[in-house]
Amino acid sequence: MRMFSGLVTEFSKVLDKLAGFCLVLLMALVVSNVVLRTVFKSPILGTYEYVSFLTAVVIGLALAYCAVQNGHIAIGLVADRLRCRTRAVVDTLVNAAALVFWGLTAWYIAGYAGAMTASGVVSPTTQTPFYPFVYLVAFGLLALCLVLLVRLAESVKKAAVK
Amino acid sequence: MSPLLAGLTGILIFFVLLALRMPIAYAMALVGFAGFAFLTSPSAAFTMVSKEIYATFSSYTLSVIAMFVWMGFLAFYSGIGARLYVFAYKLVGHYPGGLAISTQAACAVFGAICGSNTATAATIGAIALPEMKKYNYDNSLATASVAAGGVLGVLIPPSVILIIYGMSTGQSVGKLFMAGIVPGILLMLLYMGAIYLLVARNPGLGPAGPRFNWRERLSALRGGLGEILVVFALSIGGLFAGWFTPTEAGAVGAAGVLVVALMGRRLNWDGFKKSLLDTTRITAMIMLMVAGAVIFGRFMAVSRAPFELASFTAALPLPDFIVMGVVILIYLILGCFIDALALVLLTIPIFYPVVVGALGYDPIWFGVITVMVVAMGVITPPVGMNVYIIKGVAPEVPLEVIFRGIWPFLGALLICIVILIAFPQIVTFLPYALMKQ
Repeated sequence: MRMFSGLVTEFSKVLDKLAGFCLVLLMALVVSNVVLRTVFKSPILGTYEYVSFLTAVVIGLALAYCAVQNGHIAIGLVADRLRCRTRAVVDTLVNAAALVFWGLTAWYIAGYAGAMTASGVVSPTTQTPFYPFVYLVAFGLLALCLVLLVRLAESVKKAAVK
Repeated sequence: MSPLLAGLTGILIFFVLLALRMPIAYAMALVGFAGFAFLTSPSAAFTMVSKEIYATFSSYTLSVIAMFVWMGFLAFYSGIGARLYVFAYKLVGHYPGGLAISTQAACAVFGAICGSNTATAATIGAIALPEMKKYNYDNSLATASVAAGGVLGVLIPPSVILIIYGMSTGQSVGKLFMAGIVPGILLMLLYMGAIYLLVARNPGLGPAGPRFNWRERLSALRGGLGEILVVFALSIGGLFAGWFTPTEAGAVGAAGVLVVALMGRRLNWDGFKKSLLDTTRITAMIMLMVAGAVIFGRFMAVSRAPFELASFTAALPLPDFIVMGVVILIYLILGCFIDALALVLLTIPIFYPVVVGALGYDPIWFGVITVMVVAMGVITPPVGMNVYIIKGVAPEVPLEVIFRGIWPFLGALLICIVILIAFPQIVTFLPYALMKQ
């Protein structure tokens, strides 16, 4: 289990680094467009579309490592006052619900990407297909599910041991 | 079950999930999905969730958040906060309570390059608290002044909460940013006044620091500080002037801070990587929360709960200001328990139609008032996020000591809100006079 948890953490970290790289690209693209538009009156065609695609990639790839770092804000006012075992049971239920929900959502978003592939939907200016970016978001949610699976296993273990 | 009852039940279940420590973004998305599925069909709900999540993540307008968050972290890791504080305290540090007063000025200026209250409090706190300790400042005054000063970070542009408000309501982010400037300065002055009065009554709370001559004061502007102020002027000024979209303003600001930091050799590779790591974490957290709120908002819309509430409120035989007062009271109570950003995302679909639609209040004014009211929550117990951040910076100071020192600042914040309610022109004058649309 510890090995699986370590693998998931490392995998999420790699995705997060890719997200950081895309963030730098995003900034560079927007600034280049501003400079080219202002100085040379020649903006980069399709900047709006590329920014949208890159933003989707940044967020999709950063979701899992954010969860690893407990970055998704939760309020522990009531749960923190529960007894250890009760808290572990509650955590198990919460993690299971989150895992099922985000798992199904990833599945349906992948289906949405599949439908886009089949219908050949492309962006209006640069004619870039949408589906790779939609698949990437589904992939990011799947990585989030792996983190949730580790959390679920940990909470089940705590609930069972104590 | 009627749609309205389903909507109200959904809100109740959402609070139960929050109490069970489910992350706010997950709870909003899950309840929004389940409620929408209940009122329409599961397949329609999954289609809606898939489309809304991709639409939110790939939103050009929301990409501004990543840019401004990165700009703030670049400023943090290149040590700009420290130089800001040094400049402010060389200016007024020799007055009684001067270090706490200069903390407010540093928070306000750092707020101009950072859109987050917690980042502002953490940055200035890490620099100001050791200094105030050195000059024997009262622990309660020192810690509370930094925690409260962090609020200036969300009011003075750029502000992540104002961006989210603008996205949720379709209002111009540029106008909202401009509207936040005067209330931000007013709040800073009120904070300074509160510190002055406290120290005048009890000089032992904040003994005077050393006096600096003007050459020493101006020398503090060197080392990149002046350049950073130019970057801010270009980024936010360009947005106000209509040269840039908000995303472009954020990217220009982040690039500018990066260039200034690299040219001055104030940012190493490690700091650069950390700034990216923090930015992706915060942006992913915010965007998932926004996606959750959009899904929750779709459920609220099909339940018709916000519209029923707006019609009910409009028909009430009560003066408008009383209804507005009740809305603010609800914000104050919820703000004690829910994160400021989540509270704005959650409540705007419900309260916006009431306050702006039914009561006819100005949407820009309501945005600034909302930010100020939810910001009170970040310094009030039990979930005063800024207080916990400061506790992390000064672990030796007990939480109750920090919260005890918060009261005068909370009073200043309340006075500021009352002034803005009595004189809404303070908020609306600048954006409507200077911006065309």
